[in-house]
Parts: sequence; C-alpha cells; structure tokens
Amino acid sequence: MINVIRSEWIKLRTTAVPWVLTGIALVINGLLILVIFLRHDQLTGGDSIPHTTQQLNNLVGSGFQGYLLALLLGVLCITTEFRHKTVTTAFLVTPQRPVFVVGKMILAAIAGAVLAVIMLVATMIGGGLTLVARGGSFSAMLHQLPSVAPGMILVFALFAILGVGIGSLLTNQVAAIIVVLGWFILLEGILVSLVTSAEKWVPTGAALAASNLTRGQGGGNNGGEVFHLFNQWQGTLLMLGYGILFAAIGSYFLTRRDIT
Amino acid sequence: MPSAIEIDHLTKQFRGVLAVNDLSFEVAAGRVTGFLGPNGSGKTTTLRMLLGLVEITGGSATFGGRKYVQIDKPIQHVGAVLEATSFHPSRRAEDHLKMVAVGAGIPVSRVAETLDLVGLSDVARRRVGKFSLGMRQRLQLATALLGDPEILILDEPANGLDPQGIQWLRTFIRHQASTGRSVLVSSHLLSEMEETVDDVVIVSQGRLVLQTTLADLSTRAGTTTGMRIRSPEIARFTGLLTASSIAFRTIAPDTIVIDGATPEWLGPVLAQHQIVVYEVIHEKGSLEDVFLNLTRGFEASLPGGGHAPGSGPMGGAPTAAPAAAPPAAPGPFPGGPS
Repeated sequence: MINVIRSEWIKLRTTAVPWVLTGIALVINGLLILVIFLRHDQLTGGDSIPHTTQQLNNLVGSGFQGYLLALLLGVLCITTEFRHKTVTTAFLVTPQRPVFVVGKMILAAIAGAVLAVIMLVATMIGGGLTLVARGGSFSAMLHQLPSVAPGMILVFALFAILGVGIGSLLTNQVAAIIVVLGWFILLEGILVSLVTSAEKWVPTGAALAASNLTRGQGGGNNGGEVFHLFNQWQGTLLMLGYGILFAAIGSYFLTRRDIT
Repeated sequence: MPSAIEIDHLTKQFRGVLAVNDLSFEVAAGRVTGFLGPNGSGKTTTLRMLLGLVEITGGSATFGGRKYVQIDKPIQHVGAVLEATSFHPSRRAEDHLKMVAVGAGIPVSRVAETLDLVGLSDVARRRVGKFSLGMRQRLQLATALLGDPEILILDEPANGLDPQGIQWLRTFIRHQASTGRSVLVSSHLLSEMEETVDDVVIVSQGRLVLQTTLADLSTRAGTTTGMRIRSPEIARFTGLLTASSIAFRTIAPDTIVIDGATPEWLGPVLAQHQIVVYEVIHEKGSLEDVFLNLTRGFEASLPGGGHAPGSGPMGGAPTAAPAAAPPAAPGPFPGGPS
C-alpha cells in the first residue's frame, strides 16, 4: 500500500492539476481576504478592524470554501486515469482494483490537507500583513489559528476523499465535474432550503459539523446563530461514510468493469 | 516443454457478441509465439483477459497456473505492451516510468536503464504528449521491461512503426528471447513477424485455427503452389479445363491460376493443345498466403460466417476447406482434340 500511495504522489505531482488548483485556491483566498476587510469597513464605517474572536476566526478561516477545490482534486485524480487511459497501466501494476481506489483516497486526503495548510499559511501571511498594516494585532489573529486550522484541514481531507469516491463511481471526468459542482453549488442549497431538516445530513452540513466552526455556509459573519448540525465526531464520520460508500460502490463496479 | 501461458477454453461475451469462443492454446517457455489473426479476431480481448483487465466469461487464462491478479508484484513477472495511447500527455517519459517503478516496488535506477535499452535516454525529460507513435511504442516497451519480467506480452507492437522501427522491434524481440524470456506477440500480419517468431497461434473470429511451429507453417507454404497463365486464347483453354473438371481461378480477363498444378503437368498440356501463352509463372505460396488462406478458409467453414473465398487482393482458397493442404495436382488431361 505504501508503494501505491508513493506512486500516486508521483502521478499527482507530475500533472498540472494540483498546481493549477492550488493557484486558483490562493487567488480566491486573496480575494476573500480583501472582501472581509472591505465588508468590515462598510459595516463599521472604516473606524475599526477585525478584532472580536468571531471576526478573527472568519479571517483565519477565509479559505474555508476552498474545500470545493479539494473535492475537485479528489475527483480529478481518479477520473484523469480514465480520461487518458492510464488506468490500464495502473491496473497492470495494481490488479486489485479496490487497493487502487483506497491508495488514491489516502493520497487525496493528504493532498487535501496540504491544500488546507497552504491556504492557512497564505491567509496568515496575507491577512496578517493587511491586519497589521491597519493597526490590528497579529498575535490575536495567531491566537485563533488553533481553533480554526484542525477543522479546516480535516474538512479538506474529507472532501478530497469524497471526491475520489465519487470519481470511482463516475469515471467520466466531465460528467463527474458537472455532477459535483452542480450538487455543491446548486442542488444542495435548494434541497436544504426546501427541507431544512436535511441540512445536517448533506455533505456540506456534515463537513461544517466536522470543522467545528460556528460559521454559516456563506463564509460570512453570522456567528452566534444556532446550527442544527451534528457534533464534530458525528459530522466527521458521516462525511467519511459518504466517501467510503461511494468508493465501495465505485470499487464494486470497477472490479467488474472491462478495461478495453 | 514447460508452458509460460495457458489459455484454456477461454470465452468472452460482450453484450451478445462472442469475441473469444472456447479458445485454447499454450505458450511455451523461452520461445517467441506469434499470436496471429485478422483485425477483430479476438486477439486483444484474449490478451486483456490474460492480464486481468477484461473479465472472463468462461474458461481460464493463466501464467504457469496462476491468474494475473494472483501474482505478487505482477509486473516483475509479466511485462505487457498494450496500446501506445495510455499515457498522460503532460507527464514526462521519465516520470511515467518512475510512477510505475515506485508502484511496483522496483528500484528507480531501473528507469534510466530501461530508457537506455529502448533508446529513449535523450528524451527522458520530454513530455509524452510530444512523442511520436514510434517513441510511445518504445516507452511502452520500456514500461514492460521495468520489472525485468520473464514473460513479455506485446499487442500489435509493430503498429505505427516505420520499417526501421519494425526492424528494430524484431531484433529487440529476438534479443529478449535469447535471454530466456517467453514472448507472446500479436499481429494481424504474419509477414511482420515471420522472421521473429518460433511458434504461431492463428485465430479467427475468436476461435483457434491452428497452433504450430513456424517451421511447419513454412513447409506448408512451400508446398502450396500453382501455375499462373496469361494467354490470348484463355477462353479456349478454360473451356478445356472446365470440360475436364479442373478447377482454376480467373484473376484477370486473360489470366488464370490453376492451384496445385506443376510446370511438369502444364507444359505438355499447353503443347498438346497448341495454346499460345504470353506468360507462365510457377507460383509458390508465401507464409502470408498460407495465413490468409487458413483464416479465410476457416471463416468460410463457419456457419453463416466469413468473407467469400478469394475476395481479397491476394486471391484466396478456391474451396471452403482450409487451404493449407494443397489441392491434389490435376490429373492428366484426358483426350481432347489431337
């Protein structure tokens, strides 16, 4: 299994996918930090800077929405094999197809976690510099890091795992991307607005619970609102469960699939 | 002789299409076996079942009794070249091999060695998307050789190669065999492989036509002969042949071929009937003819199947029976005007 994961790492780093996704993540993260400060100015008339615990939490976790990119990373790292037919070579090296899927899930989880770390570091540098330049306290911001970072890293890893699971079931790259973006950007929100009780069951709700951040989905400033979510462990297990469920169904069909 | 590969009553059904039908043959260890048949005869499907990529409907395909999936670190025992398209275009050649080597627990030092072996050292850092078809084939060969396997499976490795590339490939395969490897190499052209293989397995429409040695096939080819006659009096001559129930094939308005005929038979006949000829050729069958006749004859003998004999450019078997056994030489020309 170690060999499979190391091989997956070589596969990942020798294509443009992770670097492009990381680039996109950093650009979006930068914009979000900008938005946080601009919005703060609007709300407070520009006479203050983020200083409450919740405000600083939001600043540190400004890259949280990047979990969608971690999800895409997971989807791409498996569907690329089918798109370029490299899956033939992969199955010759690792004929046990579930092992191939599990190897990808582990690597994707690590890559997702690393993406979260990169975004957190970028936020601490970019957000921190802006804060300090405007007379804020960097140590106060740093103080919030331990309460944000573990949840965010966990959620990124969970989404990457889910991405591999979905990709193992839906091996057509274009179809898989359309389905995941359609669900997480559009359908999930519609479902939750229609059936409020579904919120804690949908992946984003489970992931929010797993993150243990008292934040709304919009990444906005609605701390204090009561969320009817699971607790952190339940959320983590549910999210992991989704990933494993998809991967199990995917592996079942993959094992019976003719690679021609 | 011990076998390296055993195909036993192998069958594959694809959504109602019988791609491989009760196919059985063995590949002897340490020899080069040509796996021959027309396009669509089930060669690739057979090889992919053998490698665990395509699910088997019936029968078995094993390496010394073990299925591919049962072999620990399989690419250290079996190297396969399947198609030249299964690369990520933006990955460098070196990285492609590194990824396979690491995944299979093969020392990364083998990457440079195998690149050198197939002559790709100079382009090791180039992205595969920029490779020509021939270079991709070589990279596939390098991938197959990474684990220094004792068995090599090559599916149409000559496809897309230029004549120099094919020559290189032949030398390469012979070299692999000389170091004790067993090689199973598929092709739809026997001529491509006739200088390379020891044994031949011929398939058509998913079924075994013949398994034999190349030497045996050559013997058959040598005995497949015929006389080709071009004459301005062809109508009179064919009339005589028909009257004597001697079979012939018309290959041009003024040209016929009498399969199985010999110069010793034809000369006196032409002299006796004073037929003017422009051209008489003693045709000796090539291996390719034997191969084509075998597969065509086989297809025609299947219920409701196959091309009509003799429909191809090479001409074909005049009868539905497998044509490797040459028709008996026509008997003496009876009577006729004197």
